[in-house]
Amino acid sequence: MSRWRAFFQKKRLDRELDEEMRLHIEMEAADLQSRGVAPDIARREATIAFGGVERYKEAHRDARGIRWLEDALADLRYAARALIRSPAFTLSSVLVLALGIGASTTIFGAIDAVLLTRLPYSHDERLVEIGMRNGDNTWHLSAVDYRALESDQRSFTALGAESPNEVAVRIGNADAVRQSMAFVTSGVFRALGVTVASGRAIQPSDETPGAPAVAVVSAQMATRAGLGQTITIGGVPHTIVGVLPPGVTTLGRLSGDIWPVLQVRPPTRRGPFFLIGLARLKDGVTVDAATRDLAGISERIFPIWASSFQARSARILPMPLRERVLGDASHTLGVFGGAVALVLLVAVANVSSLALVRATNRQRELSVRAMLGGTRGRLARLLVAESLLLAVTGAVAGVLVAILGLRVLVAIGPHVPRLADAKPDVTMLGFAAVVAIVIAVIVGGAPVWLLARSHATGSRVIGAARGTQATRAGFVIAQFALTLPLLAGAGLLLNSFLRLARVRPGFDASGLAMVHVSLPFARYGNDTTIAAYWVRALPVIRDVPGVLDAGLTEFAPPNEPAMDFNNFALMDRPAPADGGQPESPWITATADYFRTLRVPLLDGRLFTLADSASAPPVVVVSRAWANHYYPDGRAVGHQMMPGGCTTCPPTTIVGIVGDIKVQGLDAPADAIYVPPTQGWPPQFNVIARTAGPPAEAAKRMVAALRTLDAGVPLDHAMPLEDRVYDSVTQPRHWTMLLGGFAAAALMLAAVGVFGLLSYNISTRRREIGVRMALGARASAVINMFVWRGMGHALLGTAIGLVLALWSSHALSSALFGVSATDPTTLAAVTVVLLVVALTASWLPARRAATVEPVTALRLD
Amino acid sequence: MDLLQGTLDLLILKTLALGPLHGWGISKRLRDLSSEALAVGQGSLYPALYRLEDKGWVTAEWRHSPEGRKSKFYSLTATGRKQFAAERAQWREFASAIEQVLAAT
Repeated sequence: MSRWRAFFQKKRLDRELDEEMRLHIEMEAADLQSRGVAPDIARREATIAFGGVERYKEAHRDARGIRWLEDALADLRYAARALIRSPAFTLSSVLVLALGIGASTTIFGAIDAVLLTRLPYSHDERLVEIGMRNGDNTWHLSAVDYRALESDQRSFTALGAESPNEVAVRIGNADAVRQSMAFVTSGVFRALGVTVASGRAIQPSDETPGAPAVAVVSAQMATRAGLGQTITIGGVPHTIVGVLPPGVTTLGRLSGDIWPVLQVRPPTRRGPFFLIGLARLKDGVTVDAATRDLAGISERIFPIWASSFQARSARILPMPLRERVLGDASHTLGVFGGAVALVLLVAVANVSSLALVRATNRQRELSVRAMLGGTRGRLARLLVAESLLLAVTGAVAGVLVAILGLRVLVAIGPHVPRLADAKPDVTMLGFAAVVAIVIAVIVGGAPVWLLARSHATGSRVIGAARGTQATRAGFVIAQFALTLPLLAGAGLLLNSFLRLARVRPGFDASGLAMVHVSLPFARYGNDTTIAAYWVRALPVIRDVPGVLDAGLTEFAPPNEPAMDFNNFALMDRPAPADGGQPESPWITATADYFRTLRVPLLDGRLFTLADSASAPPVVVVSRAWANHYYPDGRAVGHQMMPGGCTTCPPTTIVGIVGDIKVQGLDAPADAIYVPPTQGWPPQFNVIARTAGPPAEAAKRMVAALRTLDAGVPLDHAMPLEDRVYDSVTQPRHWTMLLGGFAAAALMLAAVGVFGLLSYNISTRRREIGVRMALGARASAVINMFVWRGMGHALLGTAIGLVLALWSSHALSSALFGVSATDPTTLAAVTVVLLVVALTASWLPARRAATVEPVTALRLD
Repeated sequence: MDLLQGTLDLLILKTLALGPLHGWGISKRLRDLSSEALAVGQGSLYPALYRLEDKGWVTAEWRHSPEGRKSKFYSLTATGRKQFAAERAQWREFASAIEQVLAAT
């Protein structure tokens, strides 16, 4: 206790001690005088008898036992003063560290939220999602599979199913809106262990087909439509029976605000596949054991439904929910984490190098301190105090950067599940603190090591200066080595993005507008009602001022996230017996659609009114599909059996149209188009060619359709050009982010080599002067230093190339049309890096050549 | 004669056992009592005094000296008194043991 008192009352105690010692000496002097010693001599004698005042003060402080703390504070105060005295160094170091720490803390925050945090369910490791797999293909369950699981499985304590959908929702008299949601069974709540905050969860009795429709809603939705109220979902009134706890908007892998009951009707065939199974493993049952259990069920049910499903080797498969939720998030975050770690390392190398110069410049000061009795430990502590102060200031600023960075990342970053939950927290602060301490040790460590060495060799100034040069050169080499992989990554992404941006979607998007129309299934549940709507709607749209032409497509180009795929068997080329039937995007579209997009008809014909529900089924295929299956160019006239049906009438290919990208610009353009007259889908995209701004036309189209039926949700009213632009948002952001990191690293590396050469030149001005006086030409001097700088850069770049070749495959999945080791890109970024290095070397070298021989000789 | 390591505390306790004194007074009394034979580094007194104060064996207080100056006066506490008795007994035992060894022939 008294030590802490001693510490906090240090000033007063020191003052008292002064006073006491002064009195002591006075009394001793007075005593001596009284024994006849002359006053001035008495005073001197007394002082000598007392001994060195300062020494005893120190001893007294040591006795107080808080020496280390006082010293530490003194070191910090001294360090702060020293740092303030060189604002350029301090500011640039803090800034560089703040960005480095900020960026790495941001990514750590994301990794923490996405990968390290458990799913919000008890024992989440026992949760599995259940789907179908055959070879590399994974898809959902059919009602057949789900019913079989319910009755036969022996692996789970609870089993449920979810079915994601986009459905028209109408609350009160507001306009209907299309909203994505999942229909759920009661087992979902039991499996996940999720309870409602009020009301009740969905119960098994609700699942019986024909039971009153109920729904559970999120706490946020409950503020608009609460317990007991009725909302219209897909035209069917649902009573709200339960409200989830605040913040719960995800069940399993699906998110939403409305969770209507899922009533699984007795199946008539094995398909469609629309159910995601969710289950909790029994204690002691492993995923492998459950896999065997479900494989047995798959084999048992196959013969029963073989008429509608021929993939004998397909299996019902449990997959750990965690893996399903995270997807490839760990890979995405790993790439960003790696990039950020490289930037941080470059930043640390840069600041360490700066700190070394500073230490060298202060050799004289440090030598004087050492002579005055500063122990080596004390001097080392001083240097560490400085680096610690820098790192901590950098970390504080870095945390601010991270708080902002996390928001930016959540807003524009890569699409990663659970990233939206990332918030700055204590773990993140802890991470920043650890990074700051490690940085302090590295940044402070190099000068301390040099200090120790210079003592050891006894050649304080020269030895240390030489050691500094070597160490700094090491740091410069490291910066180039670390920068190249970043540049390579950014270069590859940029190259890939430019290729992607050059991909033609297959049509001229300018002047095109779209509106998405989804008909609620309660009122538009069959072909007659849907057809009736469109028979009225299409003329209304064509009458909208500015609309020149319009067509309908079930899935809009250039990227449709929820495409329908269908399998098919070509009549003249039967699939192998184990059921590996080919699949293709399956799109309902009108003949007007191709005309509106100005996509050419390459062979055969488009749909006509004669292709009615009673006529033989026909399809039109895309050129890519035709080249894929009939490379001889004669696809028209061939026949197929779609959807694994063996008893249906065969479908004939009647035409080939130009390619239209629907699965994304980076995906193949295979597609099979079917006419709506042979089966109306509940949703359509109206695509219109407009005169004048398409955005305006889209708005007028929405207004016109509203007058037709206000209960039909209309969305995605936008120019098609915007949609094409948005479809490459993700690669654009990736390129921008990694490009930003690479630019930062490039700048730091340039500053590094520039600083090293400038310093090197300033210490060799005399030598340069002598060379000049002896007749060396300016160009020779420039060459000497440029080659020195380029030597470091070349070595670093060579190491960096190896690093890049070794690490760039991590980007493979994000690249389009470029290999991860694309030699052109690697060569280009190497050239960029070396040109920057050359410039950064040439600038200081040129200054060296302007040294006047005479002034140089006069230098100390 | 230099002081034996560790004996300064005992000597200070002894001088204070005779009555409260200020720093210089302690130093002066030590010299007087030992007939100037013991040379206490006058400055080293103060760290020792602080140590004793920290242990709670002496207390210090600023008050006016008989000469009318304000000085810091040290006095023994109750524990200090006990400690003095204990250390004195220890020292005597130690000194007599040394004497016994040296007296042996």
